[in-house]
Amino acid sequence: MKEADIGMDGDRGAVLDCEIGIDIGGTFTDIVCRGADGRIRLMKVPSTRGNPSRAVLAALERARTDWNLPPQAVRRLAHGTTVATNAVLERKGARIGLITTEGFRDVLEIGRQKRAEMYDLVLRPQTPVFLAPGAFRKEVRERLDAEGHVVTPLDEDSVRRAADELVAQGAEAIAVCLLFSFRNPAHERRVAELIAERQPGLPVSLSCEVDPAFREYERSCVTAFDSYVKPVVANYLADMEQGLASAGVPAPMQVMQSRGGLMSSAIARQRPVRLFLSGPAAGVVGGLEIGRMAGLRDLITVDIGGTSCDIALIAEGEPLIRAEGYIDGYTVRVPMVDVTAIGSGGGSLAWLDGAGTLRVGPESAGSEPGPACYGRGGERPTVTDASVALGYIDPQRFAGGTIGLRPELAVEAIRRHAAEPLGLSVEQAALGIHRVVNAQMAEAIRLVSIGRGIDPRGFALLPLGGGGPMHATALAEELGVTTIIVPPHPGVLAAAGALGAPVEHEVSLSVPMPLDEAALATLRPALDELEARSGALMAQEGVAPEAVETRHFLDLCYTGQSYHLEVPFDPAAPDAIARAYRDFLAVHDRVYGHSTENPARVVNLRVVKRAAAGVAAGGASWASSEEGPRRRAIWVRHSDTPVEAEIWPRAALRPGLRVSGPAIVEQQDTTTLVEPGWSLRVGPEGVLLIEKESAA
Amino acid sequence: MSLDPITVEVVRHKLDGIANEMQSTLLRSSFSPIVKEGLDASAGLFTAEGVTLSQACAIPIHLATLIPMVRKVIETFPVAEMRAGDTFLLNDPYEGGTHLPDIALIQPILVEGRLIAFSAALTHHQDMGGMIAGSVPTNSTEIYQEGLRLPPLRYREDGRVNETLVRILRSNVRIPDTVMGDVNAQMAACSVGARRLAALAGRYGAEHLTAIFADLLDRSEIMTRQALARIPEGTYRAVDWLDNDGVDLDRPIRLEVAVTLRDRAIHLDFTGTSPQVRGPLNCVPSGTLAAACFAIRALTDSSIPTNGGCFRPISLHIPEGTILNPREPAAVNARTATIKRVAGMILAAFAEVMPERVPAASAGEMVMLTFGGQRGDGSQFVTGDQIAGGSGAARGSDGVDVIETDATNGMNLPAEAMEMETPIRLNRVTLRPGSGGAGTWRGGLGTIREYEVLGEDVAVSYRGERHFSAARGVAGGADGAMARGTILRADGSTEVIRSKIVTRMRRGDRILVETAGGAGYGPPAERDAAAGEADRRNGKTTV
Repeated sequence: MKEADIGMDGDRGAVLDCEIGIDIGGTFTDIVCRGADGRIRLMKVPSTRGNPSRAVLAALERARTDWNLPPQAVRRLAHGTTVATNAVLERKGARIGLITTEGFRDVLEIGRQKRAEMYDLVLRPQTPVFLAPGAFRKEVRERLDAEGHVVTPLDEDSVRRAADELVAQGAEAIAVCLLFSFRNPAHERRVAELIAERQPGLPVSLSCEVDPAFREYERSCVTAFDSYVKPVVANYLADMEQGLASAGVPAPMQVMQSRGGLMSSAIARQRPVRLFLSGPAAGVVGGLEIGRMAGLRDLITVDIGGTSCDIALIAEGEPLIRAEGYIDGYTVRVPMVDVTAIGSGGGSLAWLDGAGTLRVGPESAGSEPGPACYGRGGERPTVTDASVALGYIDPQRFAGGTIGLRPELAVEAIRRHAAEPLGLSVEQAALGIHRVVNAQMAEAIRLVSIGRGIDPRGFALLPLGGGGPMHATALAEELGVTTIIVPPHPGVLAAAGALGAPVEHEVSLSVPMPLDEAALATLRPALDELEARSGALMAQEGVAPEAVETRHFLDLCYTGQSYHLEVPFDPAAPDAIARAYRDFLAVHDRVYGHSTENPARVVNLRVVKRAAAGVAAGGASWASSEEGPRRRAIWVRHSDTPVEAEIWPRAALRPGLRVSGPAIVEQQDTTTLVEPGWSLRVGPEGVLLIEKESAA
Repeated sequence: MSLDPITVEVVRHKLDGIANEMQSTLLRSSFSPIVKEGLDASAGLFTAEGVTLSQACAIPIHLATLIPMVRKVIETFPVAEMRAGDTFLLNDPYEGGTHLPDIALIQPILVEGRLIAFSAALTHHQDMGGMIAGSVPTNSTEIYQEGLRLPPLRYREDGRVNETLVRILRSNVRIPDTVMGDVNAQMAACSVGARRLAALAGRYGAEHLTAIFADLLDRSEIMTRQALARIPEGTYRAVDWLDNDGVDLDRPIRLEVAVTLRDRAIHLDFTGTSPQVRGPLNCVPSGTLAAACFAIRALTDSSIPTNGGCFRPISLHIPEGTILNPREPAAVNARTATIKRVAGMILAAFAEVMPERVPAASAGEMVMLTFGGQRGDGSQFVTGDQIAGGSGAARGSDGVDVIETDATNGMNLPAEAMEMETPIRLNRVTLRPGSGGAGTWRGGLGTIREYEVLGEDVAVSYRGERHFSAARGVAGGADGAMARGTILRADGSTEVIRSKIVTRMRRGDRILVETAGGAGYGPPAERDAAAGEADRRNGKTTV
């Protein structure tokens, strides 16, 4: 696909001052630019996998000519990146060594002994042994107890020996995870000093800094990942900065974190593990901003791409965060936007099983060969082929006309592999493919919501990705959702999210103690330490102290429980402890369905500091085309015969217009299907609102 | 009635979705750690005849275990008298249950007065009374010692809970609030299932929906039989051993199966299996059914939707009076070890005929280690650890070190979690070098964990396996190392644990647990030289 100036008007006046949001994905790099005048410009260029900065520089070069945007006008540059994730997926991280407490060399390899696939007979290792196989794990003599008191003093010679051996074997970075370092970091800090003396300049990751919380496997794992991606992230950022500098861009670079906030590239080098899944996080933040514009605080975002469907929840204006996530199936204890991926998408293949049942997925046609209608050799029908056969996708206008589709191949694939064996017409089979995939996705969305104590019926659905808006009304109907918001540009929402995300830093400390009135005083030293650390990070970001919003959280559990819940905490409030306890009971009731007034314990104390960096690029200015709708026969599940639908170009949808389904809205990056029973109108800032007609 | 195959598939996704939602409700609203963290709970939907429609379970041991319980309810209570506000409850292993901590709640789902299905939820309760807290004593010799027995009873009638039953239940368990909290979670899960299934019947019509149920079962049966047809017909045998029953320590327990595949059906004959034992390793037939269903599920095509149709081609012959079909009142609480070994043995029977699918034997061991006593401040603690061994090597890949296999899937306890809660310190958590069976592909390693008692007087129970019989190598591969357990007293004396022990430990006493390795596959001499060198470098082998 070529770059496309989606929805920009024809103005060619020089841009004097602008901010840029970028999402570097596996296939495309999306750019969103907001000028000082508020005008939004969009571009999509192919990603350059080996060196992602090349795509960004190519886009800037094009922006100079197409948008009359000189590089020195870029005042801020925020981006989401897959560099850390890809380093893991492709096993391209550093060769690292791991230093552990004597007797605990193999914790990283043993893990928690649970297997992910219950019915597989031939098992695969469930732990990231590749990070540091046995020869790269060394023990040092030392031991702390559960209170952090020294049981065995640190044997410094054993540290020097371990460091020398690891470097001699080729280690390029060292991770250190000693037992109970989250209670007392002294031994780990001393290990770092000793390594620095022996091996100056060698990157070191300490578990007491990366993730100061109990459970040694999880802490070892995230610390080792930090170490593993650190040199890769540093190189990537250096490349990018150098490229930008040579192109004449003066702006500092910000990077999206897993948790949904931005940080400067300088700090990203120190906390690289926080870059995992920064792309999906940016997408959810983009969704949050769209919801804000539409005045909606409770949202389910559903991003339907070629091979997967990513589901996330935004409750009361905040994305749900989880305390740990997964990379390539491995536990990574980094706070992350809570995104659940299932294997259904436009490329999901339809097939008949041994009993002649129509099944969809989990196998996907991927991007190569892709759906049959791409004409690249795919012979089996996909969800996208069904969409073409049903008349939802105009073959000439798909992706703005950049990929010419061949509908006859879609029809042929469905006929041969589904319709004829089932004794159905092609259209009935295609509707069947949609019904089956929608049933799968709706159940997955329901499960994600229910599992977090949320009833989806009170939420609005925010469909994203190329495929989301095509399935939105069908999913909403299944879920009992009555409002759908389609962002102006669902296909570039992550880039817009990067632009709108706040600068944010999160630091936490393990402070195991009973939650009672005595706790506040006991928490003081931890509060002071966290304040100092998070304050320093924000200062490094160059944020003025008065612009910083500070929030505190406690992770609490009932005494004896080992899972905990996060609640807000206001140390300045006179009844801070009582309030935290009340909130804990309420959250426990929401998430677990009950609560009792039993004693609670503090697990972690957390400080989150954030400062607004900009506003999201949601309100794109659509050129107001005078074009009216065309008409086309499409097939919907409500009727046995084709129905006449209005086909609207996105640019022709003017504020105040109301369109009843069946209708289709076409734009460069997606196709929106409005089924019968739903109606569409243009909402604030260029979003589309689709409402259930009885409820509208 | 002719059914639209697309509606059938849409309904299947909804049935799976309902089971998942029931399970999510169950896990979310339960109280006890064994459910929240051990995921020892399961929920599903059954036809009016008691056949599984859809089931969500986090550990395979729950597969099929609800079937005899639902059937027993149908046998006990006339269907004509079931009402929408009814819920039944039972736990008695001799009346369809598994072991006493597992209580099932079963709710009939009626549409327009007609029974169309059941929703059911099974939870392992933290305590069910009996001789020790937790109700899984390793030294019980009859079921009466294991806790409160509940035959199929009407727990709720017309929406009103049977308070008599609740009072009996509460006064027989050590933690009545927790137990009733978990029962209520089960109730909530059943209600979610009933509500959503009734909504489905409203949309598709009750008659149409039950026809779809029948069709779904037929479809899974057809596909399971197709998968069985791809395995050569014949009779395949396997024998394996349990160390002892925890009471008679010198008597190993023989398990034997002859699997006959013929005419797209599978028959499992357990003739040759040891008579029932005094200790609690006896296992009522539903446990063997669960093991068989696990094996079939693992051996056939994983894309076949799991429901009762998959189990139709299975028949079992389990001679009465054996450890797998004990006579009342044999003790049964520790049947997990038995189910694990049966599951492993059924798979082993297929090793020869499906060499590309079935690995060499895994350790199939999950050490259950519990400590109980007083902390320094006088408060009580009870804590447990479950410790796995290595998995068997397969043709083409080494076994995995320290990994849960077959019917269970539990997590070990972090050293930091243990030490923060109890006066027990872990001195060592490592792989056990050399414990994987040698082979062209090496068996997975066991682990070594050493626990030291820091308190004064701690009650310890250790339930191991594979101390006296190794995981068997395949095609020239070596057996995995056998497990070992040793108590190292502070005075320098040592005691070797004969697979199971209940004892006390004092300050400075240590217990050294060394779990078994998985077996090797293929002749060791043919092992890739680089792989052998990597093993030495990474400390996986000792030579």
